[in-house]
Amino acid sequence: MDLLYKIFLEPFVQMGTAPDLLVQTLWEGMVGGMLYALIALGFVLIFKASGVFNFAQGIMVVFAALTLIGLHAQGIPAFVALALTIAVMFALAWSVERIVLRPLVNQPDIILFMATFGITYFLIGFGELVFGGDPKTMITEELFLPKGSWDIKMLGGFVSLQKIDVAAAIIASIMVAVLSVFFSKTRIGRALRAVADSHKAALSVGISLEQIWVIVWFAAGLVALVTGIMWGARSNVSFALEIIALKALPVLILGGFTSIPGAIVGGLIIGVGEKLGEFYWGPLVGGGTDSWFAFVIALIFLMFRPQGLFGEKIIERV
Amino acid sequence: MRAPAAGDQAAREILLSMENVSLSFGGVNAISDVSFDIRKGEICAIIGPNGAGKTSMLNVINGFYTPRQGRITFKGVARAKMRPYEAAERGIARTFQNVALFRGMSALDNIMAGRTLKMKRGLLWQMLRYGPAMAEEVEHRRVAEEIIDFLHIKDIRKVQVGRLPYGLQKRVELGRALAMEPELLLLDEPMAGMNLEEKEDMSRFVLDVNQHFGTTIALIEHDMGVVMDLSDRVVVLDHGVKIADGTPDEVKSDRNVIDAYLGVAH
Repeated sequence: MDLLYKIFLEPFVQMGTAPDLLVQTLWEGMVGGMLYALIALGFVLIFKASGVFNFAQGIMVVFAALTLIGLHAQGIPAFVALALTIAVMFALAWSVERIVLRPLVNQPDIILFMATFGITYFLIGFGELVFGGDPKTMITEELFLPKGSWDIKMLGGFVSLQKIDVAAAIIASIMVAVLSVFFSKTRIGRALRAVADSHKAALSVGISLEQIWVIVWFAAGLVALVTGIMWGARSNVSFALEIIALKALPVLILGGFTSIPGAIVGGLIIGVGEKLGEFYWGPLVGGGTDSWFAFVIALIFLMFRPQGLFGEKIIERV
Repeated sequence: MRAPAAGDQAAREILLSMENVSLSFGGVNAISDVSFDIRKGEICAIIGPNGAGKTSMLNVINGFYTPRQGRITFKGVARAKMRPYEAAERGIARTFQNVALFRGMSALDNIMAGRTLKMKRGLLWQMLRYGPAMAEEVEHRRVAEEIIDFLHIKDIRKVQVGRLPYGLQKRVELGRALAMEPELLLLDEPMAGMNLEEKEDMSRFVLDVNQHFGTTIALIEHDMGVVMDLSDRVVVLDHGVKIADGTPDEVKSDRNVIDAYLGVAH
């Protein structure tokens, strides 16, 4: 009885008695979830266009952030360094298409998936060679990202909002809006959906697979850069960040592999669920829930909606 | 048999010319040393038993396959290698044997996808849906709606094509090819798996496309009745080799063709 009380009642009693704490937890969950959503977004872009699960998305985040910091360390002004980093991400997208994807066209998906492992290890090795393996600090001030926090008095307590988190939320929303307009309103967007559905039909109407792939990998690279800046501003930039890519998996399972809104909503659900789980139920199992709780959430959703929240239901005529 | 169109066969300008084309996969010869011409404005049927290399031939024409040897001249320009999107750019459209549609998209969007190459306005303007880009989008939409009217698929234009019955999918696929305003339209078994009524509809569309838009058509078809009714000229392949080339009447009475289809007594 005692255990049941602790699982099903006590957390909610806590939430009710300290609503400010609940709001704080929800906010932190949202912020964390937003970053998961950004990573998942990078995956979705590439998966939509080529059906490839890009394992390298995590390392692309690290690589983009390190390039930015590295360039700035050479004495290049922050915003010039930012522009150069964008150019580097474009060069990366172009090289991936030219060196990895093009020779492997028409190969089974699993081969392309393995190739993204290759890209991952190449970027780790190349990155350590160029930038060194030690953790670095993101150049937040130079990029005019705000510091400090707002303490808002509410519900009989304080809720503290980090300014950087608010900025991250705004920037992420703008980026998502621009990307969704780009992919829904332009001819490239229509071409992207076309490529996702059928390669040969897309080719036959004059869509160039090469061009589409460069564009989506570049878009994924930009998303990685923004993710890298935001994540780097909260902690350090190091190669350990690469494993956050794994955090995108439950988000993708939840949101569906092909849906941009799915990545956002999935990210937020996972982020909030994780924080709530950690704060209110974590003590029951002695803490440390953040490494696995997200997967449990995804698993539960998976039982009821195998195609994810927003995933396309696969219809097969027989 | 159609009444001969204005102008003699030989007088018509050559649109596509295949000279000594060979294609092989590993050690298997899919096409061996085949030459033929497709003339402007005609309907040319490519027929032959299963495995004769008909689809391979279409794939060579629109750049999916690169021939091992031979020369392909389209609109007076010879080329060794052409990527599929380049073929599309130069005016070759096609449909597929096993319908290749964008299944997740509506019929209208599928047809609009056929207009991809015709859209020229900057991406930024398209995103903002501003001025000239908007006018361009409206213009393309108008063309798409015309094609939809032409194919009598108005009632399904917003339906996701994956949900449509097979016959209608084939029609949408034809619509997508037409949206490219091609000079040469390649149809890979446009009537396969259709019932008599659907076949008659499709035949009507093929003839209309040919007559109203002046589109040159190369089609692969197994239904001999359809082939004889529609085509101006028939090319017969067997085991990757061309065995006959002529008007439907000539081909019908050709000894080699009869042997290929019915088998020879050994």
